[in-house]
Amino acid sequence: MSKPTKTRSIEEINEKIRKGDAQVLTAEEMKKLVESSGVEVAFKEVDVVTTGTFGAMCSSGAVINIGHSDPPIKIEKAWMNDVEVCHPGAAVDLFIGATNMSEKLPFEYGGGHVIQDLVAGNEVQLRATAYGTDCYPRTSVKTTLTKDDLNQFYLLNFRNCYQRYNCAVNSSDEVIYTYMSKLLPRFRNATFSGAGELNPLMNDPNYETMGMGTRIFLGGAQGYIIGEGTQHSPKNLNGTLMVKGDAKKMSPEFLQGAAFTGYGTSLYVGLGVPIPILNEGLAKKTAIQDKDILTDIVDYSVPRRDRPKFGQVSYKELKSGSITVNGKKVRASSLSSLKVAKKVSYTLKSWIDEGRFFLTAPVERLPTNTVFKAMRQTEEIPFVVSVMHPAVTCTEDEEIQAIAKRIVTRSVNHIVVVDEAGKLLGIVTSWDITRAMAEGKTALSDIESHNVVTAKPDEPLEIASKRMAQNNISALPVIDIERKVLGIVTSEDVSRLLGR
Amino acid sequence: MGRILIRFDEDQIKEPIASQIIIEYKVPMGILSAHINSKGGEILAEVPDDILEKVVNAFRQRGVSITVPKLIEVDSDKCFSCGSCIALCPVEAISFANDSTVQFDKEKCVGSSCSICVDACPARAIKSIKHNSLENPVNRKKKS
Repeated sequence: MSKPTKTRSIEEINEKIRKGDAQVLTAEEMKKLVESSGVEVAFKEVDVVTTGTFGAMCSSGAVINIGHSDPPIKIEKAWMNDVEVCHPGAAVDLFIGATNMSEKLPFEYGGGHVIQDLVAGNEVQLRATAYGTDCYPRTSVKTTLTKDDLNQFYLLNFRNCYQRYNCAVNSSDEVIYTYMSKLLPRFRNATFSGAGELNPLMNDPNYETMGMGTRIFLGGAQGYIIGEGTQHSPKNLNGTLMVKGDAKKMSPEFLQGAAFTGYGTSLYVGLGVPIPILNEGLAKKTAIQDKDILTDIVDYSVPRRDRPKFGQVSYKELKSGSITVNGKKVRASSLSSLKVAKKVSYTLKSWIDEGRFFLTAPVERLPTNTVFKAMRQTEEIPFVVSVMHPAVTCTEDEEIQAIAKRIVTRSVNHIVVVDEAGKLLGIVTSWDITRAMAEGKTALSDIESHNVVTAKPDEPLEIASKRMAQNNISALPVIDIERKVLGIVTSEDVSRLLGR
Repeated sequence: MGRILIRFDEDQIKEPIASQIIIEYKVPMGILSAHINSKGGEILAEVPDDILEKVVNAFRQRGVSITVPKLIEVDSDKCFSCGSCIALCPVEAISFANDSTVQFDKEKCVGSSCSICVDACPARAIKSIKHNSLENPVNRKKKS
């Protein structure tokens, strides 16, 4: 790569903004310009590129100070609209976490909705309790509050703006509800998140222009980057930002509470970063396109930290509405809103055009070479594979008499019915045999169950054990993705492990 | 094309009622979704308009419950056009307009009998409208 010959400074750009001469393009427009006219022209003509994203960002929240009551209270526990809020500091400072759920309407209303209600100017009910001290004698308080009653109301999001995110699929036979939304069985849909080529971090992946102190668009107002976000993992293009902004000035259009069935509540955050085109290198970086941004296709039906992957897919394919997984066409849809992400980028553009928003140079750069570590665990939990044992099997053409004999000689209660390739067809229990004897049935097909509840080898044993209890059964054949029987896990295996 | 939701109870499931009607009326019935086991179940099917009434009556004569599904209601103030509903829709009634706004095709939507998108909406902008009992006079369970 040749060294950029010319540069411009943030001061020069701000001077142009002041005079109304700055050339600002949205990331979408910049890509078109670079494609049609090249990097050199784009660098000459463009001062700032505005980016944007609008997606569910669970690690979000708001710090509020509600003022002192008379007599004063040192809050121990508090709820806003029945959502528990935490009290991490002194008497009347509270933190509204986006994922805390309402005790009356769990999974439907949560901290994200409380923040949205406050931002919208709605009245919110506060309920608090305390143990009472000499200096803070009061032990309970109830009141209603709007944002105007709050001394401070700051959005303080410790992980926002993921650079890119997994594409989620479900290989299992059941619908699953995840933070990646509803995933239909057997790869019937795929979900993804993120704005792809419009994402702020994708347009400056080396964090050349953004860092602590960078002024940004946050929730419809001006906010700031205050550092790297938690789980910031820039080395593998999974960077994140920690941001703050005055929520009193924000808009409910760009901060929306959300509910994910079976998962919980969250907050959709609109966030945009202006990228000053200081050199040709940045002009080139902001030309990145969806086809160049790849992400992993991940199987969310496996409840493990490292889930199986089915290759990679580009944001271009994802946004087209269908992708290919294992050679099969799968319809894909987004969880984040491209419409609002675009609106973020052109609203930020209009602020700069109108001389209402000036750029800042970072006071401190963000890490560019760190990775996100897994948890250090001092205790291991058991998985199905660690307790399963070989299954006693039979084929569909066998006589009940032979199967009964096998149950006795092998002293088991479950016989797994397989085809010649060892794939699962059904299950027969000692109870089924007893019933066959009582009813005079001789054909295996009369007593065999085909609707078999199964387990996967890499599932936590606790989950498999719950499935047995839910279905009121005492064994699960363990199968692989092609339904080949790998073994069996029984309730005896579970109790043996617990009794150890 | 008209869409009908056919509900079978435990007794009816033993008879090949749908097949009999398909053969008798020579109706090309498109199955949009089917959930059936030994306890009963339902089929969401598409039937040509000109024969729809005859087919509905044929099922009802055999004691099978038929409902004509109602639409889904979308609150456009709440919807922020994420599009998570799009890939779920079995009849591709939901899509992005040119400006990335999520749009529902009311003609295509099979309504409350499907409702697959309802609990997947993070904005809770989609509501399933309940069946109107007056419009579906035969939508009742057979007495056992």
